[in-house]
Amino acid sequence: MSLEIQKLHVRTEEREILHGVDLKVEKGETHALMGPNGSGKSTLANTIMGSPEYEVTEGRILLNGEDLTEADPDERARAGVFMAFQYPATIPGVSVANFLRMAVNAKREEPIKVKEFGQMLKANMDLLRIDREFTSRYLNEGFSGGEKKRAEILQLAMLKPEIAVLDETDSGLDIDALRIVSDGVNAMRGPELGTLIITHYTRILDYVTPDFVHILLNGRIVRQGGAELASELEDKGYDFVREEAGVADAR
Amino acid sequence: MPASFVDDRRAAALELYEREPVPTWRRSGFWTTTLRNLRLEELQPRHYDPVQAVEDLPDVVTDALPDRMADGRSQMAGLLVQRGASTVFASVDPEVAAQGVVFTSLERAVEEHPELVEQWYMRRLSHEEGKFPAATAAFWTGGAFLHVPANVRLERPLQVVYLIDEPGIAQYAHTLGVVGDFAECSLREYCLAPDFDGQALHSGAFELYLQTGAQVKLAHFQDWGRGEVYDLSTKRVEIARDAHCSWVPIHLGGRLTRQTLDIITAERGSNMRHTGLYFTEGSEHLDLFTTDLHEQGDTTGDTVWKGVLTGDSRASYEGLIRINRGAQNSHTYLQTHSMLLSPKAKADAIPSLIVETDNVSASHGGTVGEIDEAQVYYMMSRGIPRVEAVRTLVEGYFEEVVQRLDDESLTALVRERISAKLAAAEDNVVEFTAQR
Ligand SMILES: Nc1ncnc2c1ncn2[C@@H]1O[C@H](COP(=O)(O)OP(=O)(O)O)[C@@H](O)[C@H]1O
Ligand SMILES: [Mg+2]
Repeated sequence: MSLEIQKLHVRTEEREILHGVDLKVEKGETHALMGPNGSGKSTLANTIMGSPEYEVTEGRILLNGEDLTEADPDERARAGVFMAFQYPATIPGVSVANFLRMAVNAKREEPIKVKEFGQMLKANMDLLRIDREFTSRYLNEGFSGGEKKRAEILQLAMLKPEIAVLDETDSGLDIDALRIVSDGVNAMRGPELGTLIITHYTRILDYVTPDFVHILLNGRIVRQGGAELASELEDKGYDFVREEAGVADAR
Repeated sequence: MPASFVDDRRAAALELYEREPVPTWRRSGFWTTTLRNLRLEELQPRHYDPVQAVEDLPDVVTDALPDRMADGRSQMAGLLVQRGASTVFASVDPEVAAQGVVFTSLERAVEEHPELVEQWYMRRLSHEEGKFPAATAAFWTGGAFLHVPANVRLERPLQVVYLIDEPGIAQYAHTLGVVGDFAECSLREYCLAPDFDGQALHSGAFELYLQTGAQVKLAHFQDWGRGEVYDLSTKRVEIARDAHCSWVPIHLGGRLTRQTLDIITAERGSNMRHTGLYFTEGSEHLDLFTTDLHEQGDTTGDTVWKGVLTGDSRASYEGLIRINRGAQNSHTYLQTHSMLLSPKAKADAIPSLIVETDNVSASHGGTVGEIDEAQVYYMMSRGIPRVEAVRTLVEGYFEEVVQRLDDESLTALVRERISAKLAAAEDNVVEFTAQR
């Protein structure tokens, strides 16, 4: 059970952003994908999810061996892929609770029983220390940055995917919120979930220890290692990878 | 024998009607509302026999009306149904009648309460406003009249229905309502037709007067179906001192609709809330002109209109805020939004402002937009198929307006019709949103 990305080339209308990325996330593993701003992290995350903004010109995305490269985002989600958005959209007029119910039901044959849904929601809200009234607000409308991130993690917890991609879920969080979100992610870790944590900083990795670290630079993975690579990055900054990779800081 | 004030008006109106050409409404830019395709000479008023019970009314009516309550009582304090040119059903709860409420056809009211009707009849409407206002004043039959005496408070709504269930019909309709000092009530007027082949006309006049301190919830619900029904109507509400009106017009179908909807906060302390909703499909054409007129100071207004367009339909909403000289300390706000769900649909949203005094606040805004693909993608990333994502987004877009309806039965009806219309337009909408 795994998400496998093979020689992925991705472009927008203007230019190519990812130039042949390989990455494999097995269930039960936690990977960190790090890289400076503009290196292509969100592009990779959104390509995994199937965003219509990006075109895959070469390479493949496989989930459990099945080719999802051409699949629509909803098919990928139902197959077990989840992405926490760096910038989630606002859904006016649709409450958090209704949205969650719709998303949970999208994966099921029979709609979930009201009671079961209520219990599941309550348990996950307790886990993420979210107030009751939160679920009656329209999704992301007027949410603070921290609330949006928590709503993303709440969706992750409710949808129980096999592969979760978290795109900068740590950025914009104060230390308390970061701890709550990290606790949530840790609680969901286990043999059933493969996680790809995308981050610019090493902060979140103090709370969620990765098994593997990959560094993305200008659309290429330039270094891979274990948790110690994150510490090295913490000490030396991105310049050392840039020098090592022989890339000037020009995009 | 109808009273002479009505006949005098009919005579004057007829004279004008015969003189006036069939109008075309043009606005700067591309917008034109033309009756070129209306074969007026082929349409006639048609009379029908009364029915004995609500259940005997055509389905298109019973489907739209609320079910009876658990104890078997009607959810309505009164029901008046006009089919074509005839009032075919009129009932009012005896308890409500005992409080002095008059709810009957305008024809009968003219005979039974001539002084009362004469005092208000066409106070704020004029047959000189155009060919169709003249036609309505000249030819109306049946009609509806409501008088709620001072201090009477009605819990359940009063319901008027104008029904056209065959092609070939010209329906001239006139509703007059008067709500006395500190009285409270809710009035719903539904305009209904089943889907049929052929043309019909509803030429309507509506006038409602709120006296001092009255509180009224008013709803207009229009669904003329998929036939070629033309609706040319003028509706006007006058709000007196310290009175409040919440007015909800809903347009869900009609081949061509041209309506003037005016609210006049006429005396100090009066205030209004105006919440409109429309959904056009196929080749429907909707042309609305609303005026929020403040004649005196210390009045407030709050207008929100939202619409959705599919097919190659056209919708124009023009909303004028007008604050007269001397109406200081008035505060009002108008916003209008339309959403295009098809590449061939066209919408126009034109808010405007005429302020003749100082020390007021008046603001307005209008947008015409499409469904945001980022929202669709977000929902799809949660496993929700595109069709359902689009439907949910449209329903969510309307939700702000639906929340303001404040009427359970109407809310359910509106939700049901909108989701049916979205389902009908599904292929078109999905193709459109996926292409961009
Ligand atoms: N939809 C898009 N259209 C055009 N350019 C884009 C788009 N998405 C990303 N880019 C460009 O691709 C590069 C990588 O962006 P992104 O993937 O957001 O980086 P990161 O998430 O690592 O900060 C940037 O130069 C960005 O401007
Ligand atoms: Mg990013």
